[in-house]
Amino acid sequence: MTSRQVISEFVMEPGTGKAIELLKGQILRIEQVEGGQCADFNCFNLHDYKEFMHCGRTRTVHGFHPTTGTFMWSAPPRERAMLYILEDTVGRNDVLFPRCSAYVYEAAYGFAVHTNCHDIQAEAQREYGLTPDDVHDSFNLFMCTGVDEDGHAFMTRQTTRKGDYVDLLALMDVLAVPNVCGADVMKTSNFALKPLKLTVFAATDADLASVPRTPTLASQRTPKDFKNPAIKSDRPLRRDPAYKPEFPNTPIVVTELPIALTPEELAMFKAVKRTDIYGDDDAAALRDLLFSWWEERFLQAHAGAPSIESK
Amino acid sequence: MTDTIVKLRLNQQQLELMDRTIAQGVAADRIALVRLALREYAAAHKGDAAKGGAR
Repeated sequence: MTSRQVISEFVMEPGTGKAIELLKGQILRIEQVEGGQCADFNCFNLHDYKEFMHCGRTRTVHGFHPTTGTFMWSAPPRERAMLYILEDTVGRNDVLFPRCSAYVYEAAYGFAVHTNCHDIQAEAQREYGLTPDDVHDSFNLFMCTGVDEDGHAFMTRQTTRKGDYVDLLALMDVLAVPNVCGADVMKTSNFALKPLKLTVFAATDADLASVPRTPTLASQRTPKDFKNPAIKSDRPLRRDPAYKPEFPNTPIVVTELPIALTPEELAMFKAVKRTDIYGDDDAAALRDLLFSWWEERFLQAHAGAPSIESK
Repeated sequence: MTDTIVKLRLNQQQLELMDRTIAQGVAADRIALVRLALREYAAAHKGDAAKGGAR
């Protein structure tokens, strides 16, 4: 296919959201109708809702503002690329802030009832049998955020215009759930609620060819790999009397490895060892040096984030 | 002058990572790997202490 075919179009009115079955190879465009509107977004594996988009994993891989050329990842232990951001005409999205909620508007503004992203998401997801507890951390499109000097996340006004859009390409069959952010008394959407347009396209061959390959690893586990694959169907938690812990790689066993440092090596070590952290514990300081070196020489991703290049 | 013995304490996962690195041909054995790390890290960071040690 050389040109994108429109499969469906929908306008989300202020205060609403829409659950959309987005099949692998389809594109969801979320578009400004007037400009200046934040969209919150949830995403589930259409065939197993327990696999869902994980903002934490996404921000460790792509930073706080995912944009064109980045992926939306599912939570551990699945950790698969669910969506690919094919195009983003603004380049300012957010995975720092949680969804706004009724609690925020009651506690901070005194509203008994107010449009809020959690409740809008829950209502949109209800069409597919999900409950308010299933709403997950939100990918916030067009939301202009940052981190201030004392470590707090902040939001400010956005500069989006009519026609600005983000294109999300499904890499698996998903339930995509965008909503018009309900915040009209914050800077998020410039103090007004506006509609957003949704368009589903069939991706072209060029669209599909533009997606980088991501790894397929044994650690990307699914229910067939779980010791307990059954979804718990009642609310109280009760101890399983037959439970026997099977934590991987335990017990952790520490081995001593004596290293004889020559006077020259000792001088090198003293010049760089972290006495500010380890004091006179040279063994801990040398271990730190060893693995810090390893990270610098061999690690392809940011520390703590997985590498996403396919080998 | 005599050598100074530092007894590294490493768990099995850390040793596994070292051994996989050695298997790539980076060093001959665990001790050689530590010596290589020390030389390369010290060369790369010798100015850090003067700059406040942030690394």
